[in-house]
Amino acid sequence: MYRHLTMAELLELRDREGKVAARQHVDTCEACAFEFELIHQRVAALRALPALQSPRDRWEVVRQQHVAGRRRGAWRAAGIMGMAAAAMLAVFVGVQSFTTDAVRAEADLQQALAQWMAESRRLESLLHAVDREPRVMTGMTAATIADLEDRIAFVDEGIARATAARYAPDQVGALWRERVALMGTLVNTHVRNVAYVGY
Amino acid sequence: MPELAVAVDELAIRRAKTGDLDALEAVYRAYQSMVYTLARRICPTPEDAEEALQETFLEICKSIRRFRGSVPGSLTAWVKRIAASKALIRVRHEKYRETDEWRDDGWGTAGVDTGLSMDLETVLSQLSATARAVVWLHDVEGYTHEEIAGLMGKTVSFSKSQLSRAHVRLRRMLGEEA
Repeated sequence: MYRHLTMAELLELRDREGKVAARQHVDTCEACAFEFELIHQRVAALRALPALQSPRDRWEVVRQQHVAGRRRGAWRAAGIMGMAAAAMLAVFVGVQSFTTDAVRAEADLQQALAQWMAESRRLESLLHAVDREPRVMTGMTAATIADLEDRIAFVDEGIARATAARYAPDQVGALWRERVALMGTLVNTHVRNVAYVGY
Repeated sequence: MPELAVAVDELAIRRAKTGDLDALEAVYRAYQSMVYTLARRICPTPEDAEEALQETFLEICKSIRRFRGSVPGSLTAWVKRIAASKALIRVRHEKYRETDEWRDDGWGTAGVDTGLSMDLETVLSQLSATARAVVWLHDVEGYTHEEIAGLMGKTVSFSKSQLSRAHVRLRRMLGEEA
């Protein structure tokens, strides 16, 4: 490379995304090596900036708004419960009209559902065993874990809603299957992080 | 990175998930400085940072029951993500766009002595809100360009070019000389 590196190229190098030629250039060019070092110094200075405090304590405002929101939520929940009760009654009446074959098929689905639930419990135990101690993790790993946890929480909400409304076992089963898949990925991510830190 | 000692233990996290107000206050006390610092580094004004702080903790109170982690480390990452999202919402607010454009266009020519070494905090505050957010999230908080692009609703190359331009400006404003 017969020219000095641009800031974009230097930042790519810093982020370990740069080209080999760029790396070789920095190793041999005093000016670019200096610029590269300046980036590190600048970032170190940014990271060393002091933590700041909010001039006002906002907890009381947050608490009041949260409590008010919870009250509104309780009223909404009461309405939803009424609708859910009506839906359950409708499902109950529908279940009464099932044939014997349908009942047997449902029993199979219930058994599959129980297996997914058992697998989910096993993964929860495994996760708890791995996730007991706070460990150093990269920002990307933390973000991946947070994303997986969000998705599991979202599926959990779906399971809670589907169970409350007594959805068909195959629908509930699909949600449990998704939960097990996400839990498996979450456990693997934690295990990889533990292994990495251990190494 | 201005990381703070966090005094929320697993028990407090579990209690906060049940909606216990004392536990939620403990979460607020433990993380408010971290959240305010992140918001203040990204938002254009202290008032915006305070608003982002309040919105962040309202969201935390509302959503913590869905938070699946049990250790403080994962809670920190979750809290930071909410804070970054709330701060960026304020950055995207229409009223700042003109200011950003002015700063982008007028940089180095309008009232800024590029040869003068300036305090890092002052220099940071002189960047456009978007550039400052990218610098802070990438270089200090450790977010990847993909994550920043996702948070901002922009492309990865947008995030990279903002970072590169911001470093050029920081270097010029800080008067770093060979």
